[in-house]
Amino acid sequence: MSEHQITLTTRDGHEVTFSCGDSFDVVSAGEQAAILLPSLCRDGGCGACVGHCAEGEYTLGEHNAGVLSEAAVSGRDVLLCRTYPQSDLKITAPYDYAHIHFGHCEARNAVITGLKTIADRTVRIRLSWQDEEGGKAVEFEPGQCMELEIPDTGIRRAYSLANTGNWRGELEFLIRLQPEGRFSGYLSRGAEVGQILKVYGPSGAFGLQSDSLNPAVFIAGGTGLAPFLSMLRRLAEWGEDRSIHLLFGVNRESELFYIDELDRLKQQLPGLSVTLCVWKPEPDWSGFSGTPAEALQHYLQDHPGDYDIYLCGPPLLVTAATQVALARGIAEQRIFSEKFG
Amino acid sequence: MFCYQCEQTTRASTGNGCHEVKGVCGKDETTADLQDLMIYGLQGIAQYAKRLRQFGENPSEADDFMLYALFTTLTNVNFNASRFVQLIKETAVWRDRLKAQYEALAEQQGVAAEALTGPGQWRPASTLAGLMIQAQEAAINLELQQVGEDIIGLRAMLLYGIKGAAAYAYHALMLGYRDDDIGAGFEEALDFLATHPGDADQLLDWSMRIGQLNYKVMAMLDAANTGSFGAQQINTVNLAQVKGKAILVSGHDLHDLAQLLEQTQGLGINIYTHGEMLPAHAYPKLKAYPHLVGNYGTAWQNQHQDFTQFPGPILMTSNCLVEPSPAYRQRIFTAGPVGWPGVRHIVGGDFAPVIEAALALPGFSEDAPEQLITVGFGRDTVMGVADKVIDAVKAGAIQHFFLIGGCDGAAPGRNYFTEVAEQAPDETVILTLGCGKYRFNSHDFGDIGGIPRLLDMGQCNDAYSAIQVASALAKAFDCGVNDLPLSLMISWFEQKAVAVLLTLLSLGIRGIRLGSTLPAFLTPALLAKLGEAFDLKATGTAAQDIQDAMKKAA
Repeated sequence: MSEHQITLTTRDGHEVTFSCGDSFDVVSAGEQAAILLPSLCRDGGCGACVGHCAEGEYTLGEHNAGVLSEAAVSGRDVLLCRTYPQSDLKITAPYDYAHIHFGHCEARNAVITGLKTIADRTVRIRLSWQDEEGGKAVEFEPGQCMELEIPDTGIRRAYSLANTGNWRGELEFLIRLQPEGRFSGYLSRGAEVGQILKVYGPSGAFGLQSDSLNPAVFIAGGTGLAPFLSMLRRLAEWGEDRSIHLLFGVNRESELFYIDELDRLKQQLPGLSVTLCVWKPEPDWSGFSGTPAEALQHYLQDHPGDYDIYLCGPPLLVTAATQVALARGIAEQRIFSEKFG
Repeated sequence: MFCYQCEQTTRASTGNGCHEVKGVCGKDETTADLQDLMIYGLQGIAQYAKRLRQFGENPSEADDFMLYALFTTLTNVNFNASRFVQLIKETAVWRDRLKAQYEALAEQQGVAAEALTGPGQWRPASTLAGLMIQAQEAAINLELQQVGEDIIGLRAMLLYGIKGAAAYAYHALMLGYRDDDIGAGFEEALDFLATHPGDADQLLDWSMRIGQLNYKVMAMLDAANTGSFGAQQINTVNLAQVKGKAILVSGHDLHDLAQLLEQTQGLGINIYTHGEMLPAHAYPKLKAYPHLVGNYGTAWQNQHQDFTQFPGPILMTSNCLVEPSPAYRQRIFTAGPVGWPGVRHIVGGDFAPVIEAALALPGFSEDAPEQLITVGFGRDTVMGVADKVIDAVKAGAIQHFFLIGGCDGAAPGRNYFTEVAEQAPDETVILTLGCGKYRFNSHDFGDIGGIPRLLDMGQCNDAYSAIQVASALAKAFDCGVNDLPLSLMISWFEQKAVAVLLTLLSLGIRGIRLGSTLPAFLTPALLAKLGEAFDLKATGTAAQDIQDAMKKAA
């Protein structure tokens, strides 16, 4: 096996170097070198690790064309979790240096303290650290995720945290049940309160641009609401008053959840407004009928200006909303997204 | 953005100063510009406050706001742009309140109110874009083409001196100490800056006035510290970890530390000082708390390493904050003037969230072997052994004093201060204050007839102590301070150090060596002027500077 030098330049101009064998992907090689690069699915499916290869030869593994189009592939955009070097590589990463964690990813045990179906095909799972050695603190940036491991399988899935960092050891996740999903299967059939799960993380580079003064638009598809809940809850805790419009969309009304919580947050955050979007609503639906991308189109048309656009949801929604934002003149670097599903 | 207020500012052949989208300190363009605009607004407050005093009014609450606002603009204090948008609004509210009061009093007394222009009548824009356009008129180098870089440099020196003095005054204020004359001094200086002064001699004169004002401020702060916590006493401080839950307190604000100590009594949480908080261990009322167990880490520029390794929350009480790394971003808290976007901020002295974090975080799992250093050589301590010191000087046992004071920094040239301490002959005493001491304060320098060779006088604001000791020695030897066998090696980094330097110069102290890099706002012409007037010099090599100093001793 040949070893190649990977030189990663972060969005804010720092360089990180490590070596990578040609049978390893860049994210895994980083992990071996105790350099944890932000990523989610590690399977070419989510687009959290899209970079650009400026120099060098590589092989790009199988991936979701929805997160990396043929044109992007031709232009040497890469998914770091699916990039296998054939020579030394120079890659630009889509995140700041601060989002890279130096050290090994250690697992902690957490006990399931709550398990509830909160809408059609949506489960809320609450966990609490079981072991006390590392203290009770749960530390992460709103927007980040943690990986949960199905007991006795070694299979992990990354989910965004919906609560905020806290000193009580509590973690909250909102998970959409996928018909063939391994973790969904576990939640539907095996999970119960009191069980112990291994939790890895936090990781991921999705999050608030805390130094921005632009008003923000959050576009959430389904459980894509989770990272925005985390951000809003944190802003509420700290009494920040930035202007945020949340577009929360689902397919049917029965899939809506956390409406009361959003109302509560609106009381705490005077700058928050919310539009609920249902793609296929019942006739008496009084909210927006259509997708969040369509709602964004209307919103930007009615409220032109500079915005930070945050997107989280299925790839089709993220792509559509991104195109809407770009077409309305939002600068590409002011659009922050995380795809899942 | 244009900023050259601290030592780390960008230096280039095309001109010194940070003018990119982000300064070396981490302050972004938006924040820097908003800070400039807020200072412009503060000049408006000062304009009306000064005039209100002519009617016998005392606008002390506006002065308090002004001190706080000025403090937020020091290097490494507040990086939160949204905070400055808010502060700009508050600035205009204060200014309007004073303006209305002034105009009403003028009318009442049948006097024509002055129609003030510039900051006196400025209206903050309602949008960020508008504020950023307005900020262009508030930049420190706005009239560079018209007045030249020397005048800009002098204006900057005056403003930075004001900022530094305001920070010290704010610390005193937190302990309940304020002085109307000092408030009036700030108002007058800012009012003067609002006139766009262009006369070099007049500007230099005002800098000396700020030096004198800062001398009063430091005396007030000294009174506040000793009045609140007792006079410094010699004490040993453990630099090693102690098993148990832990909170690390950094910055300078002893009031915050005292409140935290009070609120954590009996909870089993150990409190550690960091950086400029080390001298807290010398104050009797602070060291009386048994859970103030030691000092962890070193100077401010090492906080990434120190804070990452600390297994508890960190409280940043005043300046010296650098961008919190992800490793501890969730467990660092700011208080008072300090801020970083997205970092938890404590309001009103309620440290419950910090305490909650401390109880949730692991703390230290075991003790480390004790490592003790000695602190507490403030003016009262040193004056207490003045006779011994004077006798040692007369007998030739002490041949020279080196005052190595000021802030530390990351620049490689700062080894100079370490080398001066290490190479200082055995017959010399090293007085130190500020966090520059971390470069050598764990070194054993021995003693001279029972007088330790290294005397830690405290924080940078304890320069007042050093001045008092020097004055007392001069009195004892019936000479001027400049005639004493004393050399001052000042490591400047930011605006507090500028204020202290102006104080020393205003007191007529000559021959100060300033380093490791000279301020960017001091142009060659200004340096020449200060060199001529005060024999102010750049630090050279440690060996040569010591040799020069010892010639003075001979």
